[in-house]
Amino acid sequence: MTDLLIIGAGLTGLFAACTAARAGLNVRVIAQGAGTTHWHAGTIDLLGYLPDGRQPVANWMQALGRLPPAHPYRLLGAASIANALDAFQQLAAAAGLPYERAAASIDSPGPSAPSQPIDREDDSRGHFTDIAPGRNGQLISPVGAGRPVFLAPQAQLAASLEDERPFLIIGFNGMTDFYPALIAENLRRQGRAARSASLPLSRLTSRRDHNTIQLARLLDQPAAQEKLIEMVSEAAASGERIGLPAVLGLKLHTRLLAKLNQASSARDRRKTPPGSPLQPSFSLFEIPTLPPSVPGMRLDASLRAQLTRLRVRVEIGMKVCGVRASGRRIEWIETETGSRPLRHTARNYLLATGGILGGGIRGDRCGRVKETVFDLPLTAPQTRSQWLRPLFLDKRGHPVFQGGVPVDTRFRPLGRDGAPVYDNLWAAGSVLAHTDPIRERSREGIAIATGFAAAHSVAKGQ
Amino acid sequence: MKRIQTEILVIGGGATGTGVAWDAALRGFQTVLVEKRDLTHGTTGRYHGLLHSGARYVLKDADSAVECIRENRILRRTHTHCIEDTGGFFIVTPEDEDDYPDRFAAACLRLDIPCDEIPASTALRREPLLNPRISRVFELPDAAADSFLAAHATAQAARQAGALLLPYHELTGLHLSGGDGNRAVSAAAVLNTVTGEELRIDADLVINAAGAWCGQVAALAAVEVNMMLGKGVMLATNARLTNTVINRCKMPGDGDILVPIHTVSVIGTTDQQVSDPENLSIEQWEIDLMLTEGDKLVPGLSRSRILRAWAGVRPLYHEPPPSHDSIHRPAPHPNRRASQLEASPASPASRDATRALALLDHRQRDGLSGFITITGGKWTTFRLMAESAVDAACAQLGVTRPCRTAETPVPGVEQGHYWLGHRLDEVESENQQSDLICECELVTRAMLEGAAQRNPTVTLDDLRRDVRLGMGPCQGGFCTYRAVGVLHQLRSDETAYDSGDWKVAHMQSPAHHHRDGPPADGGPAEHAPAAVPNPRRQSPAIDPSASVSQPNLLLRDFLQERWKGVVPILWGDQLRQERLDELIYLSILNADHLPADEGQSPLSEFYRSGFSYPGSRLT
Ligand SMILES: Cc1cc2nc3c(=O)[nH]c(=O)nc-3n(C[C@H](O)[C@H](O)[C@H](O)COP(=O)(O)OP(=O)(O)OC[C@H]3O[C@@H](n4cnc5c(N)ncnc54)[C@H](O)[C@@H]3O)c2cc1C
Repeated sequence: MTDLLIIGAGLTGLFAACTAARAGLNVRVIAQGAGTTHWHAGTIDLLGYLPDGRQPVANWMQALGRLPPAHPYRLLGAASIANALDAFQQLAAAAGLPYERAAASIDSPGPSAPSQPIDREDDSRGHFTDIAPGRNGQLISPVGAGRPVFLAPQAQLAASLEDERPFLIIGFNGMTDFYPALIAENLRRQGRAARSASLPLSRLTSRRDHNTIQLARLLDQPAAQEKLIEMVSEAAASGERIGLPAVLGLKLHTRLLAKLNQASSARDRRKTPPGSPLQPSFSLFEIPTLPPSVPGMRLDASLRAQLTRLRVRVEIGMKVCGVRASGRRIEWIETETGSRPLRHTARNYLLATGGILGGGIRGDRCGRVKETVFDLPLTAPQTRSQWLRPLFLDKRGHPVFQGGVPVDTRFRPLGRDGAPVYDNLWAAGSVLAHTDPIRERSREGIAIATGFAAAHSVAKGQ
Repeated sequence: MKRIQTEILVIGGGATGTGVAWDAALRGFQTVLVEKRDLTHGTTGRYHGLLHSGARYVLKDADSAVECIRENRILRRTHTHCIEDTGGFFIVTPEDEDDYPDRFAAACLRLDIPCDEIPASTALRREPLLNPRISRVFELPDAAADSFLAAHATAQAARQAGALLLPYHELTGLHLSGGDGNRAVSAAAVLNTVTGEELRIDADLVINAAGAWCGQVAALAAVEVNMMLGKGVMLATNARLTNTVINRCKMPGDGDILVPIHTVSVIGTTDQQVSDPENLSIEQWEIDLMLTEGDKLVPGLSRSRILRAWAGVRPLYHEPPPSHDSIHRPAPHPNRRASQLEASPASPASRDATRALALLDHRQRDGLSGFITITGGKWTTFRLMAESAVDAACAQLGVTRPCRTAETPVPGVEQGHYWLGHRLDEVESENQQSDLICECELVTRAMLEGAAQRNPTVTLDDLRRDVRLGMGPCQGGFCTYRAVGVLHQLRSDETAYDSGDWKVAHMQSPAHHHRDGPPADGGPAEHAPAAVPNPRRQSPAIDPSASVSQPNLLLRDFLQERWKGVVPILWGDQLRQERLDELIYLSILNADHLPADEGQSPLSEFYRSGFSYPGSRLT
C-alpha cells in the first residue's frame, strides 16, 4: 500500500517525494502536467520582497517577522526552513547539480572550485560560515535587474552584483530570448562596469532553430563546446566576468563551465602583466532566460533522477477527476483515462498542485475561486471585482493570486471551522494561503520548506 | 518656435484623417497631418473590423447603407490587402423572426446591395459552429478589414504624394484672423508630445478629422460642434469561431455581430452614450451582454477563452434640425431618397444616430472660412468622407481638382486579399521560425525592426498596431521582453535610418522583410558602453531617440497597456496565462525593480487610467 500519494510534480511534489522516501515511506507521485519548475530560473528564491516592500530583502531570516502571521514561513520558523534547505542542498549535490549560497559567491575562491561539483558534506573550506545565515545574494536577471536569490546553481554564482568586477555579457546573434546589450545597459545604470558582445551562431551550428533548449542540446556536444570556448576567449578581456545565456548544455553543463573557466583563467594569466594580482578564476556564469528555462529543466531532471534511485514512480498525465472521502479520511482518488477512471488508494495524500499557475487553483467567470482536486476552502476573494489591481506591477500584488489553502502547523488543510478537513490530507507549495510566491520571490523556498515539512508530518504520523 | 507653412492641415490620424491627407496630396495640395498620438490610436484602432456591405443599415439608416456598399466596392480595389474577403451571413435566429427578414431582403434589392438567400443547412455546413436553430440565412459582401494596415497604407500613399505626417503632434490652438464677415482660421499651434517642442503651422485651410474629438477641435476655433458619442465594447476570442462575418438579421442592436479578424473572432458591440471621447471604460454588464448575445450566434461562445476586451467611441454627429441645410452630403446618389424610408427621431440615442457621414462647412455654417469638419460615417466610408471634405476644401479655396482616390490603389495591393495563413505560409517557406519575436501573431524580428525603422515608434503599442505584436493568447507575455531587446539593440546600432519614410506596404509580410533585411549573422559585433545615443538622421516627425534610453519604460508601458485590456476578462485559462506573465516579469526579469526608470512616456498615464472594470474595484 502506498503510504503517501503526492498530487503534483513541481518542485514541491518532487522534493516532498524525496523527503518522504528517504524517511522510509512508500511514495508515489501523480500529476496532470510536468509542473512549472522548468519555467523558472533554476534558482532557489527564499524571500526577495516583503508585501509592500520596495527594497529587496537582504536577509530573509531577519525578515520573517514582518510576514503575515499565517504565512507558511511563520508556521515553520527559520530553523525548519534552514533544515529543509540543507536537505535540498545535499540532495542536489548528490545529484550532481550543486547549489550554493548566492551571497557566498564572492568568497568562493580556489582554482579548483569550478572544475568539480562541490559536495556540501566534504566542503572543508567552510565558506558557508563566512556569510550571515539568511543573507540573500543579488544575481542578474535577463533584463539586467538584480534578482534576490538565496541559493543558486553553481553556474549562476559568478553573476553576483555584490562583486565589483566588470561584466561582459555575451549573447548570440539571432537568439530571440537573450539581449546582451540591454542587460549591460541596465547593469551600467546600477553603477557596474559592463559591456556586451554578440557571437555569430553560424560558427556553432548550421541549424536555424535557436531556442534555449536547442542551444543547450547543441552545447552538450564536445565539438560545439570547443568552438564556444574559442569564441568566448576571443571576445573577453582580462579580468572580466562573463555572462552567457543559460544554455550551456542540459546534461554536461558543469563540465563545459569548468572548461570555460579554465580557458578564461589561462587567458587571464597570459594577459595579466607580471606582478599584478591574479584575477579570481570563477568568472563565468549563466543568466536565466524566458521559459523554457534550461536551469529549471536541469533541476527537474536531477530531482527525477534521485526519485528513480529512491524507487519513487512519477506518473504524468494523471488528471484527478474524482475523490471519495468518508468522514475525516480521503478513501481514494480517481484520475481520467481514455476509458474508465483509474483509482488510486493511499494512506496519505499530499496536495502539491500549485496555485493558479500550476492549475491547483482556478478562478471562473462568476468570480468563484476553487481548489481543483478536493474543492478545499480557500482564502481567495470570491468576487471578481476584488481580484485584481489596476496596475500590473503594483508592488502589493493581485489578491486573486494571494488566496490559497489555509493549513495548520502540520500542513493539513483547514475547514471553515479552523479544524483540519481530513486527517490524511496534507498540502504544500504554491497552493497554500497567505503567500504570493511570485511577488515575494519565494517560490522555491515555499516549495522546498513546506514540501519538506509536510513530508515529515506524514512520516511522523506513520 | 518652429514654423511650417502648408496649404491644407489635417487634424487627426485615424482612417478619416489619413484618407483626407491622401486625397488632398493626390490633388496636388501641400498637406500636413497632425495626430496627437500614434496613427489609429483613436476609434479607428478600436473598431470592430467590419467592411460593411451596408446591409446592416438598409432599414434603419439607408443613407449610410448606400455609402457603405459604394465604398465597399471601391476599397476592395484600392485597399485589397487590408481586406479579407470573408463574405457575410445575416442569420435569422429564433428570436429574430418577424417580418424583418423580408423587408431586409427587399431593401437590399432596392439599394443595390447584392443579397442572396441561401438554405440554412448550407450556411451551417460552411459555418458548423453557428446556432443550429437559425431558420434563414442571407449572404452579403461583408468582409473583414484591418484598419491598422489600411491606415498605414493610406499614410504611405499620402506621403508618396507629398504629404507630411506628424504623429505625436497635438493641436493645441487655432489662430483666427479677420473680423466679422471675413473670419478665417489661419494657423495652428501644435505640440510635439514626445519632445515637448511647440510648432506653428500656417495653413490656408484646416480640416478637422478628429473623430470623437471633433467637438473639442472645433471649440478651438470657437465653433460649436455637438458630437454624439457612442461607446462600444468588443471581446476577442482566442480562436476564430467562424470564417464568415456573422450579423443577426434584425434591427441593429448590441452584440449582434461576430467578425473573424486574423486569428481571432470579435463579438460586439454595445452602444453607450458618453460625453468624453477618452471614456473607454468597460463595465461588467457589457462583458456579460456580449457573451450572452454571442451565444445566440455561436452557442458556447461564452465558454470560449476570451483574450481581451476593448472599447471604442463612435464619432456620431446629429445636427440639430434648424441648421439642417448646412449639413452637406456628397453628390446625390440615385438612391438618395432612401433616407425617407425610415425617419429617424429628432434627438436619437447613439444606437439610433445616423452612421452617414457629416460634412460641416464652417464658412457656410458659422461664417468661419478656412475650416471644415468631417465626421460621422464609418470606417468603411472613410475614403468617401475624405473625398467630400477635400471637395469642400477645393470649393473654399476656389479651385477645381477632381478626386482621384477611388482609382488609385495604395501601396501593397499587389499582395491581393489578406488570407488567414499568409504569415504562416511565408514564415515556413522562408524558414523563419527561429526569428519569431511574437509566436502568437507570427511577428519576425525583421518585421519588428522594419516597422520601428519605417514609421515613428514611441511605445511598443505603436508596434502592436504596425505588426500585431502582443495581440495573441499570451498578450505580450513573451514578446514584450523580446521586443524591448530588439528595439534597444536596433537603436544602439550605428545604422542610420529615417523613421519617417513610411515604407510600410509590406510591414505585415514576414517574407518581404526577410529579403529586405540584413543577414542574420553579421559576425561578432561589439557594443561599446553607449550612454549617449548615436547620432542618426532625424525624421522631421519625431525624435527617434525619445525612448532609446528608456527600454525599461517601453517594457513597463507595454505590460501595463496589455494588462488594461485583459483585466475585464480574466478568469479561467486567461487568468492562468497572466500568472505566467507575472512569473516571467516579476520572478525571472524582476521588471518591477528595474534601475532608474521613473520616467513617463506620452502614453504612460493613458495606460494606467480609466479602470472602471469589473475585474478591478480595487485601487
Ligand atoms: C465600437 C465600434 C465599432 C465599430 N465598428 C465598425 C465596423 O465594424 N466597421 C466600420 O466601418 N466602422 C466601424 N466603426 C466606426 C469607425 O470605427 C469610425 O467611424 C472610424 O474609425 C472613425 O475614424 P476617424 O478617423 O474619423 O476617427 P479616429 O480614428 O478616432 O481618429 C481621430 C484622431 O484624431 C486624433 N486627435 C484628437 N484630438 C486631436 C488633437 N487635438 N490634435 C491632433 N490629433 C487629435 C485622435 O487621437 C484620433 O487618432 C465602429 C466604431 C466603434 C466605436
